[in-house]
Amino acid sequence: MFAYIVRRVLATIPVMAIVALFVFSLLYIAPGDPAAVIAGDQATPDDVERIRQSLGLDRPFLVRFGEWVFRIVRGDLGVSIFTNLPVSTMIAQRVQPTLSLMVLTLILAVSIAVPMGVVAAWRQGTLVDRAVMGFAVLGFSVPVFVVGYVLAYIFALELDWLPVQGYTSLDQGFFPWLENLILPSIALGGVYIALIARITRATMLEVLQQDYIRTARAKGAGQGSILFLHALKNAAVPIVTVIGIGVALLIGGAVVTESVFAIPGLGRLTVDAILRRDYPVIQGVILLFSFVYVLVNLLIDILYTLIDPRIRY
Amino acid sequence: MRRRDLLAGTAAALAAPRLARAQGGAAARTLRFVPQGNLANADPIWTTTTLARNHGLMVYDTLFGLDAQHRPRPQMAASHEVSADGLVHTVVLRSGLKFHDGEPVRAADCVASVARWSRRDVLGQRLQALLDGMRAKDDTAFEIALKRPWPGLAWALGKPSANICAIMPERVAETDPFRQITDYTGSGPFRFRADQWVPGSLAAYERFGDYVPRDEPADFLAGGKQVHFDRVEWRVMPDPATAAAAMQANEADWWEQPLADLLPLLRRNRDIAIEVVNTAGALGMLRFNHLHPPFDNPAVRRAVFPAMDQRAFMQAALGEDPALWTVPAGAFTPGTPLANDAGLEVLTGPRSADAAKRALAAAGYRGEPVVLLSPSDLQTQSALCEVAADTLRRIGMRVDLQVMDWGTLVQRRAKREAPAQGGWNAFCTTWEGLDVSVPGSHQPIRGNGLEGWIGWATSERREALREASFDAADPETARRIAEDIQRVVWDEAPFVPLGLLRPPQAFRRALTGIVKGGPPLFWNVRRT
Repeated sequence: MFAYIVRRVLATIPVMAIVALFVFSLLYIAPGDPAAVIAGDQATPDDVERIRQSLGLDRPFLVRFGEWVFRIVRGDLGVSIFTNLPVSTMIAQRVQPTLSLMVLTLILAVSIAVPMGVVAAWRQGTLVDRAVMGFAVLGFSVPVFVVGYVLAYIFALELDWLPVQGYTSLDQGFFPWLENLILPSIALGGVYIALIARITRATMLEVLQQDYIRTARAKGAGQGSILFLHALKNAAVPIVTVIGIGVALLIGGAVVTESVFAIPGLGRLTVDAILRRDYPVIQGVILLFSFVYVLVNLLIDILYTLIDPRIRY
Repeated sequence: MRRRDLLAGTAAALAAPRLARAQGGAAARTLRFVPQGNLANADPIWTTTTLARNHGLMVYDTLFGLDAQHRPRPQMAASHEVSADGLVHTVVLRSGLKFHDGEPVRAADCVASVARWSRRDVLGQRLQALLDGMRAKDDTAFEIALKRPWPGLAWALGKPSANICAIMPERVAETDPFRQITDYTGSGPFRFRADQWVPGSLAAYERFGDYVPRDEPADFLAGGKQVHFDRVEWRVMPDPATAAAAMQANEADWWEQPLADLLPLLRRNRDIAIEVVNTAGALGMLRFNHLHPPFDNPAVRRAVFPAMDQRAFMQAALGEDPALWTVPAGAFTPGTPLANDAGLEVLTGPRSADAAKRALAAAGYRGEPVVLLSPSDLQTQSALCEVAADTLRRIGMRVDLQVMDWGTLVQRRAKREAPAQGGWNAFCTTWEGLDVSVPGSHQPIRGNGLEGWIGWATSERREALREASFDAADPETARRIAEDIQRVVWDEAPFVPLGLLRPPQAFRRALTGIVKGGPPLFWNVRRT
């Protein structure tokens, strides 16, 4: 198992290298000029050119790419063209809000979606099943920002229970932190709950047809024990897989959610950087997201072995 | 514990911080401001962005400040003397001025700061061209010697439009103006908390306790800058609906740029006032590319005038309320001293698409495509472009409206190639009203060809008039030159003015004393 983990970690290196090359090349060919954005309308063409030179944007592709890779290998993500702050500092400022949002959404989604899917499978064809599937369709269909606006209107503006926007660091207390994240997590969690609930239901329906479930019933096992100990455990592998795949959904959804609730997270950082063509920041954040995604997949693979002892690498 | 008790306890714990926030204390001494965008860089010399300028006006003091009538008044300066021949300006600093690090402001700091500013700002470059020498006479006085008199020097040093002449410590001001500073020490009424700066989310400022305001009432950028808040927080909210909700929920005190569509919603809240703060506003304009057909032909450019309905442009950008815009607008910002109505009939006479069609045919327009660039992420400019596209189509032009984000557009519009090779023919933009209120900083009227502003207009007449404006010794002469410039603008049509936009700002009624006239200023304002 250890050897497998080492192999997988090593395998991330070429993956990250391809991502790095792809990201750098894409930004190089993409239209946009940060020097022109910085210089503004009053600037002469010479001014723009001097800014471009001072930022090193006038040098050939290979030189810039080589320097960038050399810095990355040393753990230096560079400096933002606009803020003059190290990209690592800007990312560090934004990691906690995004991580908090994603973890809370994940906990919320899994703790709601899995029981929903189990119950829907158990009560297949009943009103409960239809309600769960209806909710799932709704969760998939309604955009995150619409859910966000509706939640903010009801719970922040009308009822004044929760704040409209912003983020409070965990250092300032658990409840203020939680207070700011409840609405964004629910908004972001909708599509995730729908996805997990549907896959849980489908997998559970298949597992509940198995012989060992019939045997468990024959032995007089209780309904709860059958559903959650016998069936769910065997249905867990596809569910865990979907949870892992869903992390990409969360990353994408975080961009919108962070905008709607003015959360200073990595999603907003990415959008702002793209709009301004702040190349070092875009490259740094995309590399980070790619690394997280690769890591999550590794964790999911390792989780398989814990859930299902038959799986060995 | 009973389940009901647990739920009640949790709810109380969640509500506690909200109650604490509402109860005031330090929070009441903090002004929560939602700026028009993200403060991405904090050097008001390195960049011309409006946000960096607004930030600069908080952190840095200026030698002069314009009053409400746009006349320069001493600000950091105690006195300003001009020699009889108009060539030597001597500025004596007020006593007691300090930087945020506790060091006194010296004349040498001012000399270095003016030098850095003069390499980037358009009027600063004028100073560079005229400069014979600049030196500190001692710690409190410095002089600027010119080769030719320039009556507008104090105006240039005190103007609030980008780039402002921000006074920095000499060690900071020695930074290459094409590189960003990293030390944000100023001597203005607020100290920038760079350690708390989260670009895209928060910029925090604290009242500078050692700031010595002038002993006069605030008068736009002149007069005493009395600060009544301990802290000002710029809270960036990228989504207008979120900012509107934050205003309604009392999570923000002041929103700089509410979306026009959301104004009715905000007006329904009795705690929120909607008022025009930046009375100088922004002048909308349609800019032509003079390098390629069809707009390389002045007759084609002029042909557009009869069809241009400034009211339609303003309504598309800001809605029906005429208090939020001004038409007719000529070449100079309406409401400012040089605004005039010379030849304004081209825009105020009866509007006629047929007349424009005839003029276009007479000008020799042969159906060449017109590539009109529109920024999708700037709502006002996008609205102006939509109306411009429709107007040009109605007079028979083949308009290719190309929509892109602002980052792409600024690169695209810098291209001088023909439209078929990735260039362009026209775009709509807005210029800050203060910038285009005087010929010196009015880039669109310039005629310096490839050296000039995007669109690359060439006009000896306009350049000569602009040059003459620098020597205008009295307001009457300046006004006469402005009228001449405007007549030439109608004749050569380097751009079409689309109206003066005066977007309102939203603030809680508890805020009083907001200084009006231009950018958001954070002195004099207090919470009642």
